[in-house]
Amino acid sequence: MKILKFVRPIMVALLSLFFVFSVQAQSKAVTGKVVDAKDGSAIPGITVTAVTASGKKVTAVTSNDGTYKVASAEVISRLVVSGVGFEQQDLAVGRNASLNVSLTSTVSSLGDVVVVGYGTQKKKEITSAITRISAEEFNKGNINNVAQLLQGKVAGLSIARPGGNPNEGFSIRLRGLSTIGANTSPLVVVDGVVGADLNSIDPADIKSVDVLKDGSAAAIYGTRGSAGVIIVTTKNGLRGGTSSFNYSSQATVESPVKFTEHMDAAQYGALLKKLGTGNNLGSSTDWNKAITRNAITHVHNLSFSGGTDKTTFDVSMNYRNAEGIAIQTGFQQLNGRVNLTHRALNDKLVFNVQLTSTSKEADLGFSNAFEYATIYNPTAPIYSKDPMYDLAKGGYFEQNATEYSNPYAMLMQNTNHQTSRKINFAGSVEYEIAKGLKVLTRYAQSTNNSDINAYSPSNAFIDRGFYTGATGLGRHGYGWKQADKSVSSLYENTLTYATKISKLDVNAVGGYSYQEFTNQGLSVGGGNFVTDLAKESIGAAQDFQNGLGSLGSYKNGSKLVAFFGRVNLNWDNFAYLSASVRQEGSTQFGDNNKWGIFPAVSGGVDLKKILNIGVFDALKLRTSYGVTGSLPPQTGLAQLTFAGSGNYLIDGNWITTYGPNQNSNPDLKWEKKSEIDFGADFALLNNRLTGTIDYYQRTTTDLIFNVTVPSPPALYNRAWKNIGDLEAKGFEAALNYKVITDGKLTWNTGVNYSTNKVTLTRLDKSAGSYIGETNLGSPGQEATQIIRTYEGGQIGTFWNAVYRGIDANGKYLHDDGKGNAVLSTKTTYKAPIGNGMPKFEMGWSNVFTYGKFDLNFFLRGSFGHQLINTFRTFYENPANAAIYNVVNTKYFDPKLNDASIFSSLFVEKADFLKLDNATLGYTIPVSSKAKAQGVKSLRAFITGNNLMTITNYTGADPEVRWQDGGNILAPGIDRRATWVMTRSFTLGINIGL
Amino acid sequence: MKNNFVNKLFIASMLLVVVSCTKLDEGPLLYDKVTGDKFGGTDLELSAAVGAAYSNLSNVGGNGNLFALNGVTTDEIVVPTRGPDWGDGGHWVRLKKHEWKADDPMPGGAWGFCYGGVSTCNRLIATLQGINSPSAAKYIAELKVLRAMYYYWLLDWFGNVPLSIDFKNVDPPKNATQAQVYAFIESELTTNGALLAKPASVPDVATYGRVNYYTAQAILAKLYLNAKTYTGTEQNAKALAAANIIINSGVYKLSSTYAENFIQNNQGSKETIWAVPFDRIKLGGFNVNMMTLSYLNQTTYNINAQPWNGFASTSEFYNSYIDPVQNPGPTGTVVGLDSKGTPTTGTDDKRRRNNFLVGPQFSSAGERLVDNGAEPADPDGKPFTFTPYVNELEPNAWRQSGARLGKWQFVLGMTSNMDNDFAIFRYADILLMKAEATARIAANWSDPAALAIVNQIRKEHGGVAEWTTMTADQFLAERGREMAFEGWRRQDLIRFGSFQSARLFQSEGAATKNLYPIPATQLNANKNLTQNPGY
Repeated sequence: MKILKFVRPIMVALLSLFFVFSVQAQSKAVTGKVVDAKDGSAIPGITVTAVTASGKKVTAVTSNDGTYKVASAEVISRLVVSGVGFEQQDLAVGRNASLNVSLTSTVSSLGDVVVVGYGTQKKKEITSAITRISAEEFNKGNINNVAQLLQGKVAGLSIARPGGNPNEGFSIRLRGLSTIGANTSPLVVVDGVVGADLNSIDPADIKSVDVLKDGSAAAIYGTRGSAGVIIVTTKNGLRGGTSSFNYSSQATVESPVKFTEHMDAAQYGALLKKLGTGNNLGSSTDWNKAITRNAITHVHNLSFSGGTDKTTFDVSMNYRNAEGIAIQTGFQQLNGRVNLTHRALNDKLVFNVQLTSTSKEADLGFSNAFEYATIYNPTAPIYSKDPMYDLAKGGYFEQNATEYSNPYAMLMQNTNHQTSRKINFAGSVEYEIAKGLKVLTRYAQSTNNSDINAYSPSNAFIDRGFYTGATGLGRHGYGWKQADKSVSSLYENTLTYATKISKLDVNAVGGYSYQEFTNQGLSVGGGNFVTDLAKESIGAAQDFQNGLGSLGSYKNGSKLVAFFGRVNLNWDNFAYLSASVRQEGSTQFGDNNKWGIFPAVSGGVDLKKILNIGVFDALKLRTSYGVTGSLPPQTGLAQLTFAGSGNYLIDGNWITTYGPNQNSNPDLKWEKKSEIDFGADFALLNNRLTGTIDYYQRTTTDLIFNVTVPSPPALYNRAWKNIGDLEAKGFEAALNYKVITDGKLTWNTGVNYSTNKVTLTRLDKSAGSYIGETNLGSPGQEATQIIRTYEGGQIGTFWNAVYRGIDANGKYLHDDGKGNAVLSTKTTYKAPIGNGMPKFEMGWSNVFTYGKFDLNFFLRGSFGHQLINTFRTFYENPANAAIYNVVNTKYFDPKLNDASIFSSLFVEKADFLKLDNATLGYTIPVSSKAKAQGVKSLRAFITGNNLMTITNYTGADPEVRWQDGGNILAPGIDRRATWVMTRSFTLGINIGL
Repeated sequence: MKNNFVNKLFIASMLLVVVSCTKLDEGPLLYDKVTGDKFGGTDLELSAAVGAAYSNLSNVGGNGNLFALNGVTTDEIVVPTRGPDWGDGGHWVRLKKHEWKADDPMPGGAWGFCYGGVSTCNRLIATLQGINSPSAAKYIAELKVLRAMYYYWLLDWFGNVPLSIDFKNVDPPKNATQAQVYAFIESELTTNGALLAKPASVPDVATYGRVNYYTAQAILAKLYLNAKTYTGTEQNAKALAAANIIINSGVYKLSSTYAENFIQNNQGSKETIWAVPFDRIKLGGFNVNMMTLSYLNQTTYNINAQPWNGFASTSEFYNSYIDPVQNPGPTGTVVGLDSKGTPTTGTDDKRRRNNFLVGPQFSSAGERLVDNGAEPADPDGKPFTFTPYVNELEPNAWRQSGARLGKWQFVLGMTSNMDNDFAIFRYADILLMKAEATARIAANWSDPAALAIVNQIRKEHGGVAEWTTMTADQFLAERGREMAFEGWRRQDLIRFGSFQSARLFQSEGAATKNLYPIPATQLNANKNLTQNPGY
């Protein structure tokens, strides 16, 4: 119990702070109210058992309004509060003889409560597609990011990060792509704060996540709801005098699973010999091994929570120290959070304050290292003193070539450090004006700061990937500093009203929302230093004296203003109806179209109430329709703007010239998505089998895109216009089955499945015959278009030549469109050759408990998507062996004797099924001695992440690429500068006090 | 009572904020943007706006426009596919083979470059017309001449381009005929050219980099000399007259050496009629060094970036300098045409020395450059040698193959943006135009006046033998030697009827390829446009 020894003194100190909550008391009668912890609603029928000091028990049951009164002849020392579907609470009785209790529900059938926009609803009342994931269902193991908690858990919510770069974010898509504007990822709402940053919360602080999937549920968030909404609820304390302290700690070892297959030194040497080319240097270096390691991550989470009758709190500190599998990479993050709620005026007035601060120091490294490690000469040594190869005089082997450098030296010599600080403040006051009528005012502000300091010393070979275009040898060092800051503030007022008219429950909410965003930044870069010793003193770069340094800055801002309202009706827990509308305006739109209206309506009936449907314990059918919007990707796009366009000599003097760089479009308006969703929620076999199915169809009109316009008459040849429509369809199902519920062994299994297909149904002629095209890139395939999205086609269609083999001379043969295989140079025929969007995705979770052991494992898969394996397009070709190591997958053909020419040969099916995580846990019995010292629970666990992948894809990671850099219309490109997939094992312990 | 008070407080505070915060004007939030409706109010802003019509010219120094459309498509330049480098979807090869398409990047880029300039000129002319002052009138004339040059390039490249000259007309424009565009350019230059400054001598600080009276005459001379291409009717007398205005002014003269026109600080050249005043810091964009040099040459010149090893000249073009039959004159040792670039004896034209970078390559410290990735077939192996010989156009041209475009002086410590100014019109060009117009009027290529001019250039710039007679082909080759890579080769070949002839890496092409296609993006964006024939 070493940990305990360490923890105890801290605990004593901390608990003494809250000594105030455990005052001795004497009461013979206790009254109070029992409410649901989730929404504060009264719970009738709860058993309240008063226990006297002598052990005598008296029982009472809460009435319809949740109140109770329990009286005894002796002094009551504690209350046991219990009810079906709720966690039992054991409370010490306070001096006031009045004790309000909030209970947390345990049942995950239709009785649950979910968080919706601007409120909560009972799950049975929900008439739109909403999925709730609570903490116990989250992914486990080596998780440092909130998105990771949900990966694969929600049907229709796709979350992916190819490779294991701990400093890289996840792409998140809900029901595929529904906008080409700003918000392709779902809107995030944290404890009511709209537009929050998912990375500002520590995964350990989250209680539950609700995902609003359809248009109807998201419409209350109007302009940013098109990609769905993720509502995060963080932990808060419980009322009623209890407090708890939790400490958890875990350590992870992470290692690469697979590298892009390439030739080793012997194979490469033999190939060079055969070709009579290149440079066999006689060493044998596995560059991928050289740049990677077993990375160690450790995480500590400390939290305490609790509450009196009036005040509840949850305070936590989280520390993460993660190494990346690439040498010299990783991060350290410290996150602190305070969540305080205070109730006054007989609970009519509720104050809430939340403060969160995150501080992160990250060594970002350089993703290009993974590219270079694959293609760098494996016969070259890592180090060299030979002046012919120690070109940069840093002691490392370097070659005077473009496109790559020694990847080990790259990571060892150059620094790329990011410091980020996130501070969130949120406060709200809620007041009950009259019975059922509450007004709430919320103000929240979040600030994100990021500073990058990067330096390449004078004895390094500066690579193209190093911040600016200055490349190669003899730069005498290059430094880059960048500071970015964004601030957003939210001011909201809502009025809610709940009442019951006969059998009709009415819940209404109305409100006003005002939000402001400001982003600004500064960057500076310069080279040619006299010394590397003061690398952060960038003014010392002699480039500035020669006018060659670079300096940039920006600042932009926007505002959103909205009015919204919603009414929920519940007729006798049988028929449900919900209708909402949001009118929202943004500064980002043209003067003629500042405001948009986003209505929604949905309804459902519980058939169990009227029909005798035997096997079903519940069967609710629902349908919904909702309109949501999407903002343009940047600010100022509706305006005619001028920008500096170089200098020119005017009367012998240089003057900075200004010319137009964007046309105005006063008609620029919201992208609008309308969506119909049909769904059913059901429970069978005494609620052991529960499930949800949904079918949806969504149409997005007025897609915002930057298109060519004739200039003249336009001042500039590009303008942002509303130019097209998207249509998406999909099916989603989620089933949960409690296979074994009784006895020592329990088994709970859940599966989710989703399909999605997005088509561009209309494209304005002004946008050309296709949009979203992207090129393969350097070397030598710069103007090689590989993806386009055209009218009638699916988003992100791979478009190029159809491979038909190689001829006797090793030349590529392509299809000529008439079914003939002809030399690639003799045809320009191109066709759709694949697509990067998955056809369906699934997740399968299993939870077993056996006595004190628990085991869970989770499989996750994406199917039907393809990837363009860019490593192969450039390097799986003996013709390039003189300069680059050769990629050597099963497709490698030594007879090939041609240039690198793209075709369907490089498109691969990338269906995969991963054993995403598996955890074995053991709840350690707490000895009576430990119990006496206050230990409540102890648990140890081991988790493996990414234990197994089944795929035919030859690249390093078959994960879906949802976008290509910033191009959301180009999914499916496996770019070279990508980290490889990793596997990790985590050992952890949780202590509850 | 207490509750009432709290209620009122809440509702009042809410209403206050709601009422005040529904304004959505983006103007105050455009912190880092210059909006069009506000710009141009001060004199400095106006100068900056006028400057934008010129700074657009920095595009002539990049790998598109003049170098791609007027060079790569001729015998001057080739961009071979060098194994993994420069394949780029085949568009460089298509330029060479005259197989370009409407959606290829280079014609599209050139259209954007020219109409960007036209559009800026239109806007400024409209703005200045609202200002009733003599200086505004002068600016207007200058912008109209500059716009005429953008239109001249458009006419030369695309032919039937829209004449969008009225800033207030917002309808997507229709094509005009070549004859209409020709007539517009002619009238604009004749009317407005006369209003421009006439420098008494060069270099003239006040007008350097900008169009002047003589620039307008130079554009007219080009227009007239090529009139048959554009309208079917020759205008050689007019071409001669325009050239004579420049020549007879006495302002310009041939520089004493050919090289001084292309040195790093060439702004003092007496030959420059109009140059884009490139500068590594002030006006970047001239990067022929990056286009043509090998990445190994970074250490030859200690450049701040690795060059791209693309553009080269052809052995055919190089040979027109060293072949004693084509170019008689004193001989010397020159890099030969074989696959190793073996030194041989050939005509030692001074312009060859200036225009090409060939032979063994060295670092700035004098060490021989070595290419560790030399191709198996590379006959001289790893030592790095630029050879005029290019083994193939695609797919595996050796990285060392091709004489490099060394015309504009490379200096130690240069950056990826060169300082050398790029002359759009140079006095030698005017002289050669005069010679050509004279010969064409006389219907005699050996006309003494024409021959005298050509011999003056051969002697003073090339240091090669004077001719006693001359043929059309010889004249064309001489123009090629003198004007190499300066952006006129394509129209010269068209004028002499040989642009579509078969030559190295290019088979005979269709006459419709004398015009580039109107870019597909423009056809998509503007329903009123019609594509050129043959595309």
